[in-house]
Amino acid sequence: MRQVQRTPIATPALQLLRHVFLLLLALAFFTQAAPAQPRIPRLAEDLFRSGSTTLQAFSPIAEAARHSVVELDIEGQRAALGTVVDSSGLVLTKLSEVKDGKLIARLPGGEEVAADLVASDTDNDVALVRVNSNALQPISWAGEAPAVGHWAVSPGLRTTPEAVGVISASPRKILHRRAMIGVSLDLNVSAPRVEAVTQGMGAAKAGLRSGDVILAVNEAPVNRRQDLIETLRQFREGEIVTLRVQRGEKDFETKVEMMEMKSEESESDSRGRATRLEGELSRRAEGFERALQHDSVLQPWHCGGPLLNLEGKAIGVNIARAGRVASYALPASLVKEIIERLQAQVPVSIDSSQ
Amino acid sequence: LLLIFVLWNVPLAADTPSEAEQSAFSAVEQHVFVPRPPPVSRDHLLPPFLKKAPESIEDLKSIEAHVQDLLARVSPAVVAVRVGGSTGSGVVISKDGYVLCAAHVGAQPNRTVEFTFPDGTKASGKTLGANHAIDSGLLKIAGEGPWPYVEIGDLDRTQLGDWVLAVGHPGGFDRERSIVVRLGRVISLTPGTIRTDCTLIGGDSGGPLFDMHGHVIGIHSRIANSMAANFHVPIRAYVETWDRLAKGEHWDDSQRPAGQPYVGARGTDHPDGYRLERVDPTGPAYHAGLRVGDLVLKVNGEAISNHASFQEFTSSAKPGDELTVSIRRDGEELTVAITVAEAPRRRRGR
Repeated sequence: MRQVQRTPIATPALQLLRHVFLLLLALAFFTQAAPAQPRIPRLAEDLFRSGSTTLQAFSPIAEAARHSVVELDIEGQRAALGTVVDSSGLVLTKLSEVKDGKLIARLPGGEEVAADLVASDTDNDVALVRVNSNALQPISWAGEAPAVGHWAVSPGLRTTPEAVGVISASPRKILHRRAMIGVSLDLNVSAPRVEAVTQGMGAAKAGLRSGDVILAVNEAPVNRRQDLIETLRQFREGEIVTLRVQRGEKDFETKVEMMEMKSEESESDSRGRATRLEGELSRRAEGFERALQHDSVLQPWHCGGPLLNLEGKAIGVNIARAGRVASYALPASLVKEIIERLQAQVPVSIDSSQ
Repeated sequence: LLLIFVLWNVPLAADTPSEAEQSAFSAVEQHVFVPRPPPVSRDHLLPPFLKKAPESIEDLKSIEAHVQDLLARVSPAVVAVRVGGSTGSGVVISKDGYVLCAAHVGAQPNRTVEFTFPDGTKASGKTLGANHAIDSGLLKIAGEGPWPYVEIGDLDRTQLGDWVLAVGHPGGFDRERSIVVRLGRVISLTPGTIRTDCTLIGGDSGGPLFDMHGHVIGIHSRIANSMAANFHVPIRAYVETWDRLAKGEHWDDSQRPAGQPYVGARGTDHPDGYRLERVDPTGPAYHAGLRVGDLVLKVNGEAISNHASFQEFTSSAKPGDELTVSIRRDGEELTVAITVAEAPRRRRGR
């Protein structure tokens, strides 16, 4: 039976492959005669989904929206886009891209004006920036949430969009990437006893050892393995937890930094490699209350700009390029809540229109 | 390695099952279903899909509305697949539960598969056959059904530039998220692969590529570095070997000489890169514009320092893949795209 399967001539598929092969040989001779002919026909790049000709069709939308978009630069480098939310020059943007450095806003007309960070929401990585211009038009928000499969347009300052895509998945909570102290626990006992510590992680740096039993996290007792795991889950990368540790007869307290496991697989492509060629990912790409996922190829500096439907209305604000295929946008409904919360933080300014 | 298999944690080894296993399996499995594309005509496509590119907001709206209709029809049949520790996607193509998948997701015959439908419904079943050379794999849901299913398409009617919808459960089933949708176009078609600009990622493997009739024309298989390098197993591969796949056969005919990649350029090591000394005037490198004397600096964005690093890309590519090559010529830097060809048999004899 195995013999029969392995004899190539016996199957129609391989006969076909042979024909295909002969055809390719014939094609090879043909291309020899006409060297300019590529062997495998290929769609012209400008006709790709995100190609320049395709983008042209979206230009009325980008054109109409560009006076509601600013570009925020730090030291001459593009840091983020901003979405204009009122006529006094308040602009919403991505906090982590604009918080370190002096901001200059570039307007659609080309002028550069000063911009100051006035309020921030670290939970959703959003900031309000005041731009010294009263020529900006507030974005108009879509009344309805988009459906999966709807077009999503990311305008910038230009008359064609920076990126286009479709909504890939409905809004959902995007969890933080798991931060950890870097130990594996002994599965044979119910108490949280350290079996091994991971080199380079917080627990190793704090001097934890195999056999240590963790009694409490920030003074809250953890009696069972599961208690420890659930307690630690609430902390993010970079946060410091104080552990009470029992070692032999003694117990002591030690501070441990929560870190991300570098080799941890995540949806945003564990290999990292597939995304490297065509732009980087956002530094902060997880941990949002609700986010729409779309398949536009955003650059990190496109974040902060609006995401529009075909009516030219904002369905959200781009917040992260999270993976090869996944860009996230905070949905309009959430953005409006955030703006309301943040406006309460904005100092009342009497000279902002000058 | 140029090609990154989309599913990272699946062994790629093509195990041939023992004869006992195979015959036992064929005795149990009575397959009556044979996939056949329903008759459709390109005339049924909406005008924007027949244009070179959409020209107006109206065109875009009509694409959008059509995609909505298709999604409502096809989504229920797109399943998340779990085989052992690995996850992928698949699509049901018959009422009695045949599921198209990628060979590297199932990997071996007669393994237990857990299927999850987009609404969270679970079902279990088995892996059937696979052709590891082309990465086609078949699975079967064990239960009675009827299961939600989609029709298969006809690649003879598929053309360059056709709009396509890629669907899957990347990273496994996620109740809060469910299926993930991407829209793109067919970039190239070869006997062994469909290439699109629908960006795939890990866990997409085995998921369906739909044409604008809502018929499956390909199954997600692998990616390369470029965002426009997403490769799908053509539906033809399943139809033509249906009996073997349904019987649970596993095979790998990738050793055929015609499948060897051919670029047609050789050179020597150079302090700044790799200097081309021979460029076959009938080969893909020449067609892409490479000439003797060009200094190759990068391939697919990675620095090339010597023969070995250049060879790594050219020999691991598959015919139809694209290599992005950056070169220096007369002090100027140029980047060209080489479409890897198949090596004619006689070249291998040397």
